[in-house]
Amino acid sequence: MVSPMTASFPATAAARTLSGQILAIPMTVAIFSGAIALFANSFWLSAATSAIALSLSVAGLAILYGQLGLVSLCQFALVGVGGWVTLRVGHAFHPPFEVSLLAGGIVAAVVGLAFGLPALRLRGLYLALVTLMLAGAFQIIISAWGFPDGGSGFLGRADGAGRAMLSRPSIAGEAIPYFLYVNVFAALGLMIAQWHKLARPGRAWALIRKGETVAISAGVPVLVYKAWAFALSGFLAGIAGALLAGNVGQLDGRAFTSFESLNLFALAVVGGVYNWYGALIAGLLLRAIPALLTDLGIDGYVTIGIFGLALFQALATAPSGVAGQISGLLNRLRAHLGKSGAE
Amino acid sequence: MIAIENLIVQFGGVRPIDCLTAQLSAPVSGLIGPNGAGKTTLLNVLSGFVRPIEGKVAVKGQALLDLSPLQRVRAGLRRSFQTEQVVEDLTVVGNLKAIADHVLPNNERAESVSAALDFVRLRAVAATMGSSLNLFQRRLVELGKCVVGTPKLILLDEPAAGLSNEESGVLRELILRIPGEYGAQVLVIDHDVDLIRAMCTETLVLDYGRMLALGPTDEVLASPDVRRAYLGEF
Repeated sequence: MVSPMTASFPATAAARTLSGQILAIPMTVAIFSGAIALFANSFWLSAATSAIALSLSVAGLAILYGQLGLVSLCQFALVGVGGWVTLRVGHAFHPPFEVSLLAGGIVAAVVGLAFGLPALRLRGLYLALVTLMLAGAFQIIISAWGFPDGGSGFLGRADGAGRAMLSRPSIAGEAIPYFLYVNVFAALGLMIAQWHKLARPGRAWALIRKGETVAISAGVPVLVYKAWAFALSGFLAGIAGALLAGNVGQLDGRAFTSFESLNLFALAVVGGVYNWYGALIAGLLLRAIPALLTDLGIDGYVTIGIFGLALFQALATAPSGVAGQISGLLNRLRAHLGKSGAE
Repeated sequence: MIAIENLIVQFGGVRPIDCLTAQLSAPVSGLIGPNGAGKTTLLNVLSGFVRPIEGKVAVKGQALLDLSPLQRVRAGLRRSFQTEQVVEDLTVVGNLKAIADHVLPNNERAESVSAALDFVRLRAVAATMGSSLNLFQRRLVELGKCVVGTPKLILLDEPAAGLSNEESGVLRELILRIPGEYGAQVLVIDHDVDLIRAMCTETLVLDYGRMLALGPTDEVLASPDVRRAYLGEF
């Protein structure tokens, strides 16, 4: 009699518990934030704050690309949408920062869903082109409108001396407390994203990635789960935009070009879209490398070439990105330790 | 019982199924025919991915063509594909849960997944990722997915493709247990005539989208028309 159970499998393939995989996130973020808060100067603290905030937008991108195989090139525009709404609500109504932040996330989720509507029918190059054009449209709009700075009217633009900065949350007014505040939201956002990947939505997305016919045959409402992925991705990008707005109290429209969305996607691939810490790595690459070059007195545009080479290297040798390589290393280490323990 | 009445499927100028009328009532029925005979197209019609231009299909008295593919799954229709579709980065349990999530209420999922796991004898590898499974185990996962929930009609498209005779024997034994344990009717496509003979009491033979024969499997396989069209005998 043939037994399907007799084959042996690598111990590393065994799934770890859901709670264990999710709890690894706050632990890692706590260690990282503690180290930065203790040792970084104000320049690096600001760069790290932006990096952690942007890691949330990468986590959103990783849901679309890593879970569904959808290439969306408008993620940085959604960061801008979240930032715009946060600034507008903050200046107009002066609510607690968390209310403005949540408003930014929710509106970006709705816009993300609208941006994702083509994806319900398109994929591959065509979806990439459509979303890139949407990012271009946002670039034009934000160039004309600018970000709200305390003025009146729908656009909230003030002239000259009337300009105001968005206040940080009352419990995190200084640089270090705000950095830790951003880390708390980043950990929560990454945990939400990871829970989605490991639970029912992640299983549905995995089936959709396998094939829409396969997913439908398993009872998955494909359009609902695709739309949910776009909304969640937009929400995370919106929260990232809100946290960036809170970091400096203002945003510059020139920083939200369609190229930034391309850059974000490239770095998401380099960081790794299949492991949650790939988002952290990509966020750090996005802000730490330019900060390092600036610190060394080198033009920040050199990063474009560096990121291009990194993308080439990732696509050629490590499709699962830096995070995938770290994951492989950890798995080999666990297997080795397991073998040593058995002997 | 699957009742098909005057079914016509047309793709441009081609009719992969042409005026097909048949009734399949055996617990495990076979569907055979040469390549291009319309077997997979018929499975696609039954599961809702191909819309016929004419005809009726009823399963256990319920009209099938009025239902969307999702409604059919929720009503108890299950299918496997010619190429197994196990998700590599989900565990065996995850693959089973992926269907339980959408066909069962929350409080019934764990029990159904556990029963399916035992049915296909994969409990020992329940936490193994799909990417680490061998072909036999992947085929068993596919069968396990078909028995999650309350299946009423299970469509298996070449479930034993690529398996050894011994492995096919295990799979056959499991498929034969489905009607008794789950109350579901099974329709199997396979090119392995010996497997069909051992498993199916009734077989439908298609050729160019039309019914060539339908009846007890031994009689059908002995038919000169079937032997000429399908088995290549002159």
